[in-house]
Amino acid sequence: MLVDLRPVLRVIGVLLLLIGGLMLTGIPFSLLYKSGDALPLLSSGLIGIVIGGALWYGVPRGKNIKKREGYLIVGMGWLAMVSFGMLPYLLSGVIPNVTDAFFETVSGMTTTGASILNDIEAVPKGILYWRSLTQWIGGMGIIVLTVAIFPLLGIGGIELFVAEAPGPTSDKLHPRIQETAKRLWFIYVGLTAVLIVVLYLCGMSGYDAINHGLTTMATGGFSTKNASMAYFSSPLIQYVIIFFMFLAGTNYTVIYFGLKGRFKQVWKSEEFRAYLGLVVFLSITLGLGVYTAIELPFEQAFRDSCFQIVSLITTTGFVSADYTSWSDGLTMIFFILLFLGACAGSTSGGIKLIRHLVFFKNSLLEFKRILHPRAIIPLKINGTVVRGRVITHIIIFLLLYLILFVIGVVVVSFMGLDFATAIGAVATSLGNVGPGIGKVGPVDNFAWLSGEIKWFLSFLMLLGRLELFTILVLFSPYFWRSN
Amino acid sequence: MKIIIAGAGDIGFHLAELLTMENQDIVLIDTNQEVLDYAATHLDVMTLRGDSASVDILQQAEVQKARLLLAVTTSEKNNLMTAILAKKMGAKQTIARVTNEEYLAEAQQQTFHELGIDTLISPRKLAAEEIRRLVNQCSFTDIFEFEAGKINLVGTTLDESSQLVNTRLSEIEDLNIDVNLRPIAILRGHQTIIPRGNTVLQRNDHIYFITKKNNMDRLVDLVGKQRKRVKRVMILGGTGLGLATAQRLEKEYDVTIIDNRRTRCKQLSEVLNNSLIINGDANNIELLVEEGLDNMDVFIALTDNSETNIIASLTAKNHGVHKTIAQVENKEYTHISQNIGVDTLINKKLIAANNIFRFVRKGQIEAITSLNGVDAEIIEYVVHKNNRLTRNPLKELHFPKTALIGGVIRGQKTFIPDGEFQLQYEDKVIVFALPEAIGKLEKLFR
Repeated sequence: MLVDLRPVLRVIGVLLLLIGGLMLTGIPFSLLYKSGDALPLLSSGLIGIVIGGALWYGVPRGKNIKKREGYLIVGMGWLAMVSFGMLPYLLSGVIPNVTDAFFETVSGMTTTGASILNDIEAVPKGILYWRSLTQWIGGMGIIVLTVAIFPLLGIGGIELFVAEAPGPTSDKLHPRIQETAKRLWFIYVGLTAVLIVVLYLCGMSGYDAINHGLTTMATGGFSTKNASMAYFSSPLIQYVIIFFMFLAGTNYTVIYFGLKGRFKQVWKSEEFRAYLGLVVFLSITLGLGVYTAIELPFEQAFRDSCFQIVSLITTTGFVSADYTSWSDGLTMIFFILLFLGACAGSTSGGIKLIRHLVFFKNSLLEFKRILHPRAIIPLKINGTVVRGRVITHIIIFLLLYLILFVIGVVVVSFMGLDFATAIGAVATSLGNVGPGIGKVGPVDNFAWLSGEIKWFLSFLMLLGRLELFTILVLFSPYFWRSN
Repeated sequence: MKIIIAGAGDIGFHLAELLTMENQDIVLIDTNQEVLDYAATHLDVMTLRGDSASVDILQQAEVQKARLLLAVTTSEKNNLMTAILAKKMGAKQTIARVTNEEYLAEAQQQTFHELGIDTLISPRKLAAEEIRRLVNQCSFTDIFEFEAGKINLVGTTLDESSQLVNTRLSEIEDLNIDVNLRPIAILRGHQTIIPRGNTVLQRNDHIYFITKKNNMDRLVDLVGKQRKRVKRVMILGGTGLGLATAQRLEKEYDVTIIDNRRTRCKQLSEVLNNSLIINGDANNIELLVEEGLDNMDVFIALTDNSETNIIASLTAKNHGVHKTIAQVENKEYTHISQNIGVDTLINKKLIAANNIFRFVRKGQIEAITSLNGVDAEIIEYVVHKNNRLTRNPLKELHFPKTALIGGVIRGQKTFIPDGEFQLQYEDKVIVFALPEAIGKLEKLFR
C-alpha cells in the first residue's frame, strides 16, 4: 500500500473534534437571542466530537507521515471539515438541501464568501455565527498549512522563503515549526480580538462586531447583513474594515516583524512593498475614475473604490458599493483584480502577489538576458537569488491557474451561464474572493445557479484554496504509482 | 628594535626590505626554505624555518623580546593564531593580515583587541579602496591622501595641450594659474628627475604633484586633461579584489564584471545587486567589445594573471577606454606602467606592505608610500618639540639635496612651503626622499 491511511484518518479525527467543539460555541448566541437553533448546533457538534474521537482513539498510530499522506491529509481534511461543517445548516433546516449546504460551507471554509442565502438576516443567530466561524476556521487552517504543511511539500508561494536557506534570509520566525505556528496563531487570534473591540467601539452591535471580526481576519467576506458592508454606512467602520482587510492580506511574518518594531525587515519584503504600492496606486487612480464616472462626493468615491479594491485583492469579498454599476471599463478592471491575491503567508487566496512579482521581474530580466546572452542574471527577491526550479514552479502555477480558469469557464458555459457571469463565477471561485461580475456580481448571490454548477464551483474553490497542486496531485498517475 | 615577520612572501619580503633600511632587527619566519634563503642573501635579516603559529617556533624567535609581530602569511587563520599566540607570549604589538572584510568592521575591533591582535590589515580592502579613489579621480594615475585628504599626492601624465609643457618650473608662478602645487618628481622614460627651478617640463612627462584637495579640479585642466565624468566601468576578473571593487563601485557607476568561471559568476550574482555579470573568457576580445568595451570610461583588469591583465588593459586602451588599471602580482612590473601604456598598475601586496609600514613607524612617521616607477619614498614626519628644524626657515636648514618637502599640515591648515617657510612644533611634514636620504631625515626629525 503506497499510502498509509491510518495517519490520514487520525488527523481527520482531530479536525472533527475541533470542528465539533467550535460548533458548540454558537450555542450561547442562540440561547441569548432565543433563535431556537441550539439543538441543531448541539447535535451536530456532538456528532463531530463522537466521530472525531472514535477516529482518533480507534485508528492505530501509523508510520511517519510522508509526502503522499501529507497531500491526502490536506485534501481529505478539508473535505471532512466541509462535510461536517454543513450539518448545522441541514439539521436546522436553514438550508434544506445538501448541494446548497455544501456550497455554503465550502465557500466558508475556503474563506471565499460566495453565498446562496437569499435572506441572510432571517437566518437564526446561532447558525449565522457558525457561518462566520467556518471562515475563521478556514483561515486558521490556511495558517497551519502555510506554516507546517506547504513548506514540507514545497508549494504555496511560501516556498520562496522556506524551501532552502535556513540562514538569515529565511522567513521562519523560530527554528521549530510548532513555535512559529504558535506565534502566527497568536497574531491571528489577537488581531481578530482587536478588530472585534474596535468595531464595537465604532458603533457596531456586539454580535455584528464578532461576526465581521471573524470573517475579516480570515479574508472571508461573509456578512450578517443582506447588503454586506454597505449596510454599515459609517465611513469610520468602513475605513476600519479596509485597514484590517489590508492587514489580513499581509504576510503574517511581516506583521510579526512589524509588531516587534523591526520595521526595516517589514520594508525589506518586496511583496509587501508591491502590495502597499498597488493598493495605494489603484485606490487613487480608480477613485478618480469613479469620481469622474458618476456623481459622488470625492471622499465617498475614494472610499468606495478603495474598499472594493482592498476587498478584492485580499480576496475578502465584502461589498460596500456595486462596482459593476460604475462603468464597463471599471467593471473589467475589478474583474482583473480577482486574479491578484494579496501576500503569500496570509489568509488571502488567489494567485498571490509574490507569484506575479516573480513572473514580472523574471520577464523583465529576460529582456536583459536576450541582450547579454553571456551574462549571469539571476532573479532576486528580497535580495536573495530565487532558484530556477522555484521560478519554473511558479510559472507553471500561473499557467495552470489560467488554464483551469479557461476550462472552468467553458464548463460552466455549457452548464448554461452567460459569458460575463461565467468568467465572474469561475474567477471568483478559483480565487476564493466571493463576488464576481455579471449575474454573480457584488449585489447578487449564487442561489439561482443550478445544482451541478454549484458542485463545480465548490470544487474550484477547494482547488484554489489548496494551491491547485495539493488537489491536482491526487489526480495525477504518479501519486498512485510507486515509481 | 626587534621585529618578527611571519610569512616571507611578497608582503613579508617588502616589509623586511623597508624595515632593514632603518636598521631594525628582523626575524623572518616561513615554512619555505627557498624564500628564506632568498631573503637571507638579499636582506640583512635572520630567518627561521617553521610554522609561525607554533609555540616552539615563536619561542625560538624570542617573541617575548619582540617590539612587534607582523603576521602576513597567505593564510588568514594562521595569521590570527600567530598574532594571538605572540601577544600572549609577550610581543608588545601585533598586526595580522586578513582577507575577510567582516573582521575589519568597527564592531569587531574590540573582539580582536581582546584576543591580542592590535591591528588588522586586508590587502584586498586597501587595494579596492585605492581603485575606487582612482576611478573617482580618473585623470590621475596615482592618488595618495595624507591626513584624511588634506594634502594629496597625485601623479599624472602631461598631455600636449597642457599649459605646462615647455615651461620651466621656476616660471610656473608667472603663469598666473592660482593653483597651489609642488612638483616633487618627474618620470621621463626610465629616468627619475628631482625637479629643480630650471627643469623644463616636456610632453608625456609623468609628473607627481603635492597639492591641496580643493585644487584637484584646476589641476586637471592644467595638465591638459578633459574633466571626464566616469559612468561605465568594466572589471575583468571576478576575483576577491574584483568583487570588493565592484561592491564599492556599483552604487555610483554602471559596472560590468567578467569572469570565466560559471560557478564564480553565480556567486558574484548573489552578492552584487547592480552590476552586470558576464560569464566569458578574458582573452575573448570580441566578447569584451560586444559587452561595450568601446563605451567604457574605465577598464580595470583584476584577474590573477598579471600578463592577462596587462594585455587586456592595453587592448582596452586601443579601444579608446579613457583609463585603464591593471593588477600585477609581480613586484618588478609595478615600475613599468608608464612605459607600457597602462595608466595604473596596482599591486595589492605592495599597498599592504606600505600600509603596515605606516603602522610600524607610527609616532615617528605618519604615512609612507612609494610611487610607481620611482625609486623613492614619500614619508610623513611629525616635528617634535625643540627640534632644531623649527629654529630657521627652510632654506637655511641644510636639508638633504635628495629630499624635498612637499607639504606641511598644521592643525586644520595646509601649506605648500617655500624657502621662507618656518616649521613649528607638531607640524606634519610630507617629504619626498630618495633612499639614500632616509637615514639623514630620520636623524633630522628625531
